[in-house]
Amino acid sequence: MADDKDVLRDVWFGRIPTCFTLYQDEITEREAEPFYLLLPRVSYLTLVTDKVKKHFHKVMRQEDLEEMWFEYEGTPLKWHYPIGVLFDLHASNTALPWNITVHFKDFPERDLLHCPSNSVIEAHFMSSIKEADALKHKGQVVNEMQKKDHKQLWMGLQNDKFDQFWAMNRKLMEYPTEEGGFRYIPFRIYQTMSDRPFIQKLFRPVSSEGHAHTLGDLLKEVFPAAIPQDDEQKKYLIVIHGIEPLLETPVQWLSEHLSHPDNFLHISIIPAPSD
Amino acid sequence: MMSGERAEGAEGCFLDEETFRRCCDHFLQRSQALHDGWSWEQVKGTEEGYMKKTVLGTGRVNISTAQDGHPRAGEVMDAVGDQGQVDDLGDEDTPVPAEGSSVIRFEYHVLYSCSYQTPVLYFRASTLDGRPLSLEDVWDQVHPNYRQRLLQGPWDTITQQEHPLIGQPFFFLHPCRTADFMRPLLQVAHAENRKLNYIVSWLSVVGPVVGLDVPLTYCEPLGSPALPLWHLTDHCLTLPPAGAWQTLHSKGCLNPTAFDHHLISFSFTWM
Repeated sequence: MADDKDVLRDVWFGRIPTCFTLYQDEITEREAEPFYLLLPRVSYLTLVTDKVKKHFHKVMRQEDLEEMWFEYEGTPLKWHYPIGVLFDLHASNTALPWNITVHFKDFPERDLLHCPSNSVIEAHFMSSIKEADALKHKGQVVNEMQKKDHKQLWMGLQNDKFDQFWAMNRKLMEYPTEEGGFRYIPFRIYQTMSDRPFIQKLFRPVSSEGHAHTLGDLLKEVFPAAIPQDDEQKKYLIVIHGIEPLLETPVQWLSEHLSHPDNFLHISIIPAPSD
Repeated sequence: MMSGERAEGAEGCFLDEETFRRCCDHFLQRSQALHDGWSWEQVKGTEEGYMKKTVLGTGRVNISTAQDGHPRAGEVMDAVGDQGQVDDLGDEDTPVPAEGSSVIRFEYHVLYSCSYQTPVLYFRASTLDGRPLSLEDVWDQVHPNYRQRLLQGPWDTITQQEHPLIGQPFFFLHPCRTADFMRPLLQVAHAENRKLNYIVSWLSVVGPVVGLDVPLTYCEPLGSPALPLWHLTDHCLTLPPAGAWQTLHSKGCLNPTAFDHHLISFSFTWM
């Protein structure tokens, strides 16, 4: 079996080949060629698309440029979710590359948060880390860190520096051995079947009898419909980082190895393809 | 039971979800008696929900309209610059001309955060024709006394955030310091063996920052005379009673360091 450390690397370096196309109704001065990028799963759309913006700016008039936003098959893409979550949730059944449409007009105010600068992404990212640590350690680890430590986490993500990020992030992953895990597991369960964007509850990694809680236990409690009954065909896929982990996997292990850099375990529940 | 919970001492600054619901129930009963418009909104198909109130107010809105009729949200500073009104910005003493004001619809939601085990205030604002206010517009509505405080820390400020139950963009005040400023209030109540409603106390601190007032009468139990809870709600008054904060301070109930970076500390300037 591969070293668990390798899992962290594999998660960090996950990439999605993507084709960005300008929305047909945008006014251009000459034809806008599509733009191709390998997107890091663990990053944020607005953090890694400077080149996309520059590419399309070249063919557009200054006065037609408003805040850039993205859409996939009619769904505005929320930049504040990690890229991998957006792909798993909305596009995992499609052929690659992932075709994203780029807009510079008609910002969907009811659907998307504004992202005027990278500092907004940084604030969102650090806010998630803080919230995760509130669940894991009552916020004690993140509050004991210095400002430069917070900066190291952010710069690690922004500059795609695995070692820089993990040298600090490992502190957020520690827990007292005798407790067998964090206080609560920071997780979010996403699905597209209702308006509610995600489910988040308090869930402990270890049962009161001392057993390790599994992914199956978590779903049974929070989203029971996702678990197939004995004789039933699988209705949903449970996806993290593009894979379907075994339901027997302990949630503590998942939290330590398959969490995004924001320290949350993002779980997508998507309808199983009916073939 | 009147108002939910008796404060539980130092650890009692956190609020579990059940108590949150009980405090909301009581708050809503009181609201009904006062006819001031709070309601409970259940999220379809779940047991979860939130308290909601809509208020109409007036304020200055900088929404400029692009050629296609859509507001250039998020670019308000530029828009203002284009119109040559940039001198007005940041000058709190400049009186707002009546023609610059418009009617604004504020929508406030009180949610429970299980991560921080505290309530959280979400809000959004729009003009009557439904155009949402930008963050800059919302800042313009914040009273100058609070603005300075809010600007000092990156997480103690107003940010745009997805409403976790309905998935739409809202503004919110980050809850990560809520327990810090609630602790002294709860400790006082505990020391005096007195009940208080967490939601009433909390909302009377954070609400006024974003234009939401909580009338003093919320502190009175239904159908009985007022409890002496003025010090929990003096933010509703123009001036707190003389010596109020000194009294609390001398009892050792206020920890200035806990307050130092937070919005409540404006209270000391009144002393």
